[in-house]
Amino acid sequence: MTNVEIELEVNDRQERVSVEPGKTLLHLLRENLGLTGSKDGCSSGDCGACVVMLDGRPVNSCMVLAPQAEGSSVMTVEGLTQDSELHPLQRAFAESWAFQCGFCTPGMLVSCYALLEFNDNPTRDEIRTAIAGNFCRCTGYQAVVKAVEQAATELRALNGGGRNA
Amino acid sequence: MKFPEFITPASLDQGLEIKREHGTEARIIAGGTDLILKMRDKVLSPSVLIDLRRASLDSIALSREHLGLGALLSVSEVFENANIARMFPALAAACSKFAGPPIRNRATLAGNIANASPAADLVPPMIAYDADIVLRSSAGERILPLAEFFLGPGQSVIEPDEILTQIRLPLTSASTAATFIKLGQRRSMTISQVNLATRLDLDGRGLVSAARIVLGAVAPVPMRAVAAEAMLTGKELSEELLCAAARKAREEAMPISDVRASRAYRLQMTEVLVRRALLATRRELAGGGTSD
Repeated sequence: MTNVEIELEVNDRQERVSVEPGKTLLHLLRENLGLTGSKDGCSSGDCGACVVMLDGRPVNSCMVLAPQAEGSSVMTVEGLTQDSELHPLQRAFAESWAFQCGFCTPGMLVSCYALLEFNDNPTRDEIRTAIAGNFCRCTGYQAVVKAVEQAATELRALNGGGRNA
Repeated sequence: MKFPEFITPASLDQGLEIKREHGTEARIIAGGTDLILKMRDKVLSPSVLIDLRRASLDSIALSREHLGLGALLSVSEVFENANIARMFPALAAACSKFAGPPIRNRATLAGNIANASPAADLVPPMIAYDADIVLRSSAGERILPLAEFFLGPGQSVIEPDEILTQIRLPLTSASTAATFIKLGQRRSMTISQVNLATRLDLDGRGLVSAARIVLGAVAPVPMRAVAAEAMLTGKELSEELLCAAARKAREEAMPISDVRASRAYRLQMTEVLVRRALLATRRELAGGGTSD
């Protein structure tokens, strides 16, 4: 099968890659662009370790074929960090010990980022709903919920101060 | 593995032409959340994939008779639409219980229908709202009730050259209410053990002018419990009557035992959940104050 040329924007950079049409967005990111933050957990859209932002919404990148992402804008967990500075969510995850093995963390972070994008003061229920598609099999979810609350507080202060992380 | 040719036609007409040419060898890829798995597991091996994202099938159009939903609307887009939340709350409720957020952002209305899964969550509420679907081919289009679409698990009446393009929900009257209930092993990311929707319309005297009880995951196709519905039609909504209708719905269900639930459990839950749904629907009708 001949390769197809895919153009897409990833973490604010225009990329052009040549891939087999059956390749998933997840594997395009990992193998063609070296963005190995997104993880291949279940390969079937169940675990959420591969979640990335696709045109402004969190999706399972293992359930998107590369040609479906043609012309799209993608943000991976790597895109959270700006100028080597961790996003408040990333810092809060580290400070709250919101992970143990860390395999679910990239997808978890992106889902939480998506939540805070349109709701910077979420309730615990809203946080739990936002991560309903992200499975953690070691730490559990309480520390994650706590970390998101902490990050939300920080983001509100930052946004109030006129700076957005 | 040989991977199918991937085509993104510039318009629906082009897509229909490609579908006519390739027939069953071509599959429409919508959200892909089921299709990609089925291809990987070799349940399906199409030679052509047609991606219709440039075919303008993601609009929501309100006409005098119905709300027309583009086939490629994602579950999230349906959930977020204010008209749907107001006029078809049972469908919005089903969307909120569907998988989890990342899947809801990809999975589509048409995908949930066209896969013809007996457990499809969005189908019972749409049938309860008397939804019609539009099937287009390069030769024309036909419109049929969604309830008549399904033939069995994974089987439907769609022809090899047809594409499901729109779902039409007839506008409802003021004195109507509907309820969706899903039972699964978890709150999210779970295939339903039983899902169902009930809808009740009242006439000016407070009698039931239309009743819908639509059951999922308890038969080879999503099914209306027509005998239970008939018990309610023309009647006043007493609690005894609703309980009797729930027992009747259980008699009509014909579930199998599988990894998710046993036949006996599904039957028991059908009665319990139909009763709950009917009582909730009645409560809402009373609270709405549009009847009585």
